[in-house]
Amino acid sequence: MISNIEITLKQNLMDAEGRSLMKKANTYFGIKIDDARCINIVTVESDLSQDELETIRREVFTNPVIQESSLSPLDIDFHFCIWVGFRPGVRDNAGATAVEAVRDLLKKDFSAHENIYTSKRYCLTGADLTREDVEKIAGEILSNGIIQQYNVFSKDQWDKKIGADVKPAKVILNHTPGFDTMDIDTDEILAQISHERSLSLNPRDIPVIRGYFLDEKVLAERAQMGLSKPTDVELEYISQSRSDHCCHNTFNGIFRYTDMETGETTQENSLFNTYIKAPTLALKDSKEWVVSVLWDNAGVGSFDNENNYVITGETHNSPSNMEAYGGAITGIVGVYRDPMGTGLGSKLFMGSFGFCVGDINYNGPLKPPLHPRRLLDGVIEGVKDGGNKSGVPTTFGQTLFDPGYMGKALVFVTALGIMPKTVNGQPSHEKTTSPGELIIMSGGRVGKDGIHGVTASSKSFSENTPAGHVQIGDPYTQKKMHDFLLICRDEGLITFITDNGGGGLSSSVGESAMLSNGCEVRLDKVPLKYEGLDMWEIWISESQERMTIAVKPENLERFMALSELHEVESTVIGKYTDSGKLHIKYKDETCAYVDMDLLDKGFPAWEFDAIWTPPEARGLVEPVISTPTNFNGLLEQMLARPNICGKEWIIRQYDHEVQGGSVIKPLVGINRNIPTDASVTRPVLTSERGLAFSQSILPWYSKIDAYHMMAGTIDEAVRRLIAVGGSLDHIGGVDNFCWPDIGYDVVSNPDGKFKAAQLVRACRALKDACMAYGIPLLSGKDSMYVDGHLEGAFGERIKVSALETVQFSAVSLISDVSRCVTLEPKTAGDFVYVLGSTGDELGASEYYEMFDKTGLNVPNVNFSKFKTLYKALEKAIDTELVASCHAVGRGGLGIHFSLVAMAGGLGLDIDLAGLPRRDDLPLSTEKALFSESAGRFIVTVAPDKKQTFEKLCKGLPCACLGMVTDSHDRLNIASAGNPVADLTIATLDSAFNKTFGDKI
Amino acid sequence: MSGASAVNALILTGFGLNCDYETAFAFEKAGACAHRVHINALIRGDVRLTDFQILAFGGGFSWGDDHGAGVIQALKLKNNIGKDLLDFVDADKLVIGICNGFQALVNLGLLPGLDGDYTRRSVAITYNDCGNFRDQWVRLVPDADSPCVFTKGLGVSDYPVRHGEGKVVADPDVIERLVANRQVVFRYADEHGAPANGAFPANPNGALDDIAGICDPTGRIFGLMPHPEAYNHFCNHPDWPRQKAAAKRQGKSLEETIITGIRLFENGVNYMA
Repeated sequence: MISNIEITLKQNLMDAEGRSLMKKANTYFGIKIDDARCINIVTVESDLSQDELETIRREVFTNPVIQESSLSPLDIDFHFCIWVGFRPGVRDNAGATAVEAVRDLLKKDFSAHENIYTSKRYCLTGADLTREDVEKIAGEILSNGIIQQYNVFSKDQWDKKIGADVKPAKVILNHTPGFDTMDIDTDEILAQISHERSLSLNPRDIPVIRGYFLDEKVLAERAQMGLSKPTDVELEYISQSRSDHCCHNTFNGIFRYTDMETGETTQENSLFNTYIKAPTLALKDSKEWVVSVLWDNAGVGSFDNENNYVITGETHNSPSNMEAYGGAITGIVGVYRDPMGTGLGSKLFMGSFGFCVGDINYNGPLKPPLHPRRLLDGVIEGVKDGGNKSGVPTTFGQTLFDPGYMGKALVFVTALGIMPKTVNGQPSHEKTTSPGELIIMSGGRVGKDGIHGVTASSKSFSENTPAGHVQIGDPYTQKKMHDFLLICRDEGLITFITDNGGGGLSSSVGESAMLSNGCEVRLDKVPLKYEGLDMWEIWISESQERMTIAVKPENLERFMALSELHEVESTVIGKYTDSGKLHIKYKDETCAYVDMDLLDKGFPAWEFDAIWTPPEARGLVEPVISTPTNFNGLLEQMLARPNICGKEWIIRQYDHEVQGGSVIKPLVGINRNIPTDASVTRPVLTSERGLAFSQSILPWYSKIDAYHMMAGTIDEAVRRLIAVGGSLDHIGGVDNFCWPDIGYDVVSNPDGKFKAAQLVRACRALKDACMAYGIPLLSGKDSMYVDGHLEGAFGERIKVSALETVQFSAVSLISDVSRCVTLEPKTAGDFVYVLGSTGDELGASEYYEMFDKTGLNVPNVNFSKFKTLYKALEKAIDTELVASCHAVGRGGLGIHFSLVAMAGGLGLDIDLAGLPRRDDLPLSTEKALFSESAGRFIVTVAPDKKQTFEKLCKGLPCACLGMVTDSHDRLNIASAGNPVADLTIATLDSAFNKTFGDKI
Repeated sequence: MSGASAVNALILTGFGLNCDYETAFAFEKAGACAHRVHINALIRGDVRLTDFQILAFGGGFSWGDDHGAGVIQALKLKNNIGKDLLDFVDADKLVIGICNGFQALVNLGLLPGLDGDYTRRSVAITYNDCGNFRDQWVRLVPDADSPCVFTKGLGVSDYPVRHGEGKVVADPDVIERLVANRQVVFRYADEHGAPANGAFPANPNGALDDIAGICDPTGRIFGLMPHPEAYNHFCNHPDWPRQKAAAKRQGKSLEETIITGIRLFENGVNYMA
C-alpha cells in the first residue's frame, strides 16, 4: 500500500525555506511571489496498518510544537503548487533514515518491496504568477532534471483529496542479470564496441587488448574457466583501468616540446616521473618527516612522536557541472574516504574547498548545463552538507570567477587526517594483502549510479555525456562507517583498506589484489540497492560510501560484530589469492579471468606535440594606461570585484571548528570577515602542536605563461603558510591540475599543442619550486579536460576552455600554536613594514583585468632570494618579534593594505616612498600599489621590537613604510608626502562587502 | 580515556554524532573520567547508564537530521532506553545536551521538564531565520539566578554556534514560564553583554527571547546551542591573537586571563564529585 504523509510548519511560523525561495525567484528571475510554504511529503510503500501509519506520522515525522501533518493532503492555499521528487535510483538520504526510524520504532523489518521515499511540494501564492514563471522556478531553482522530477499544479487543477498523488520513485529493472562475451575479430569491431558501450578505449590500446585475448596461452587458460572471447566485465575493467582518470596517461605520456623562439625540441618521457616523482623521492630522503608518498590514497607526514598526518586533494568537476549539489557533496564525501583508506586508516580532521565558476551575473547567449549562479549555489550547498555532516571542519576555501569556467566549473576538495604512528604494534602507514585474506566491502550498497564516471571525466563535456554518473553523497552512512573503521583499525582487525571511488570495485579490488597477486571475487555476494544489475555494472559501479578491506579469516567474527554494533553493512565478497589472476565469478560461473599484470602488457604511452610560443611572440604587450587621479574610487572598485571581495557568506555556511582544534579560522580580524592567509588547526587536542594549511589558485597568469602561473601559485601558498608561522623546514604540497584538452586536432582542438606546452612548462615550474623550497608532493591529481561545448544563440555549439589552472595546497607543522600570528594589526603605535621587493609586474593582474587588459610582465618568482627572506621572517615570527603578518597577493599592496586596515580596525599611515623596489627601478604609484610581485608581506612590529626586527632583516628587501594609529580610522596612503589615497575603514569595509552582501 | 576522578561522564557516539572526541576531552580537562559510548552499546546493555554521573548528548547530525534535528535520536533513545534515562534523571544526576544534543533533549521531553514532566515536547528548535547553516562565535549572557548547575558563577561567555536549526521556539506561555522559573540559562547578547533583542547576527538564528540554552527546573538538565567544548584552549577564541597582545601589555599570560568553556564542564564535574 502507498501512503503519503504531508508535514508542514504551523501556519503562524515563518517558513525560512519558503523565504529563501521567494528571494531567489525575485533576484534571479524577477518573479515576485507573495508567499511560499513548503510541505514535506513522506511516501510509505509498505504493509503498515492504519494505526501504525498514524503512529509514525505522529512520533517520527511531526514535531507537535511547530508542525502539523496529515495522512491526506494538507489544505494550504496557493495559486500554484510545485511538487519535486527524486528520479528513481537517485540516493534519497532522508528516505533511508526514515526507514531506520520506523524500523526501530515499530520493531519491524522492511521487506524488499517496502520502502520510504521523500519529496516536497511548494505552495506559492501570488496573483500575478504565471505558469511560465512557475515552470521556471520549478526547473531552474527547485529541481534538476538529471536527478529530479517535478509537477506544476494550478489551483484549478488541484484535487484536494488526491493532492500531488506521489508514487514511490523505485527502480524496477525487470532484467535478468548476467554477462556477455564480446567479439574482437578486428580492431574496428572492438573500436565499435568501445563506442557503443562508452568505454572510451584509446585507439592505440585496442590492438594490445586484442593481442592479449587472442594469445594462445591466454586462450588455453581461459578455456579451462569456460571462457574464450573477452567478457563485458573484462572489457569494462580494462576501460576503467586504462582511463586517464585512473591511469594518468597524460602525465605518463610522451611530449615532444618545441620552443618556437629557440627552435629547440626536447622530449619529455613522463611528466609525472620527471617533475613529480623524482623530486619528491629526492626530498623524502632529506626530510625525516616524510613518512609515505606516491603510492597510497594520500601522502603521510609526521606530526609528532606518536602521530602522522595524511593529506590529499581531488577535483569533482564533471558531475558538478551537471548536478552541482550532487557533484559537490559526492566530491567532498569522496575525498574524505581517501584519508580513511590511507595506511590502515586515519581520522579526518579538516577539509577545504576551491570553487572556480563563470560570471554569476552572466546574461549572454551561451547556455551551460547550469548557469554559473545556480552552479555556485549548488556546489556551496553540496560541500556544506557533505563537510558538516561528516563532522569535519572546513577550515579554508576560495572561490574564483572567470568566464573560462563557464565551459567547465572546477570543484576542488582537500582532506587531511591524523593517525597514530603505530596500530596494534604495526606501522600504521604500511599495509598489504596476502593470499587467504578475505575481501570485504563495507558501507553503502551498489546500484547503477556512477557507472562510467571515470570515463566521462576523461572526456570534455558534450551533449552526449551520460548523465547517469551523477550521484548524491551520503555523509551519514559514511560517518557511521568512519567511526566503525577506526575501532577496527585500533583493534588490529584491518590488514589493508582502500576506498571505492572512481572505477568502484574494479579499481579497489583490482589494485589491492596486485599486492597478493590475485583474487577471487563473487559478484553475486555484493549487496545491491535493487535487483537486475549486470555483472559488469556491479564490478565498475561507483556507488558511494564504500570501502574495500582485507581481513584475516580469524578476525572476521569480531569485525562483523563491530560492523553490526555500528549498523554498517559489511559483506565478504571474495578472497585474495596468489594465483596471478583476477578471477571474477557470478555464482559458479567465471565472468572474468585475466592476468593481474594485464595492465603492464605493453600499452603504448600517449603522445603529444607541445609547441611553446613565448608571450611576446604571441603579440602580448604591456597596456598603455596613465596614472589615475582618483585612487580612492579605484580602490573602492577594486575591493568590490568578485575575485577580491568578501565571501563571508560562503565561509560561514561551513562548520570550521568542529573537533575543537581551531586556532586560526578562515575569517579573521576584528569583524571576523577578512580571509586568513592560512588556517591553523590542532588535530591532537592534548598537544600544543598544530598544522597550518593554505591553498592558492592563480590561473590568470596562465594567460601569459603557465610556468609563472605554477611558480606564483606555489609561492603564494608557501608565503601564506609563512605568514601565520609556518616553517620552510616542513612544508608538504598537494598539486591539483585542471587543464583544458591538450590533444591537438586541427578542427576540434587547434590550440592543443600550445596547451600541451603550457602543461610541460607548469610541470617544470612545479619541480623548480618544490626543489627550491624543499616541498615534497605528498599527493596530487590531474583533471585533464576542463572544456565545454556550450550551445549559443543559433543552435551552434562553442567550445569554452577554462584557463590552465592549478590549485596548490600546502601544509606546515607548527610546534607551538600560541606563536602563530594573524594578519590584523593589534596595537596603535606599531610600525608597518613591507617585506619583499615590488617590480613592474602587473601582467595578468587584477588591475589590468579591470581594464580588460592582459599585459606581458607576469610576476616572476626568485626562489633563492625569496627563501632567504622567508627564513628571516620565519625566525622573526618564531621569536615573537612580529605583531601581525600578511602575505600580499592578488590585487597587490593597494588591496592588501586595505585588508590589513579593515582587519585591525585601526588607522594606517603609509608612505610608499621607501618601498623596496625590484632592482631599485622607479615605479609609478599605481604600479607600486597594484603590482602582483610575489614574495611580499605586510608586517607590523611593536616599537620595542623594532631594532631587533630590523637587525634580523638587514640586507633584505624590508622597509618601514608607516604606522598603525588610533588617532584616526583611515587608510592613508601617500607617496613622498603627496597624498595618494585616503579612505575610512568603513568605506573600505562597505566596498569589500557590498558585492555579495545580501547573501547570508 | 583515563582519569582518577570518581565522576564518570558518558558521551554518546554513533549515528552521525560528531563532537564526541572534543566533548570527552573537555570533560577530562574538567577532571572527569570521560567515556565515549556508542548509542547501541547502551541499548544492548553492554554499557550501563547507572555507572555514570553525567550524561552528555553531543553535537553532530544524528541520523543526518533528515526529519528534524535530533528527532530520530530522541525517538530511538526513548523507544529503547526511555526508562533508564528517566531513572538517571531521578537519581539527581546531570545531563547536558549541546547543539544536536540540545535538540535531542527537547524532543525527548527531558527539557524543559515543566511540572516535573520529562516526556512532554513543549519546546522546539527549528531552522535559523537566516535560512542557512551558520558558524560564528556568539556572546552569551547567563541568568545569574538560574538553578543551572553548569553555569554557576559564569559571567558573559563566548562560544561558537554551528547549526542550521538553532531557533528556539515555544508557545508564549511556555516561554513565560521558562523565564519566570529562571530556566533560560543563556541568552545571545551583543558585544556589551546585553541581550541581543533578536538582532542578527548577535542572535544568530532568531531564537525567541534570544534563548541560547535552557535547563530543567532543577538545574541538573541543561541544553544549549553553542559549543563550550569547542572553547577548550585559549587559542580557540577568534580574538586570541589580540587578547594575547593585550595580556602581554599587562604583563600577563593568556592562561591567567582567559576563562574557556572548560569552566562550564568543571561546574558539572565538581557538582557530582
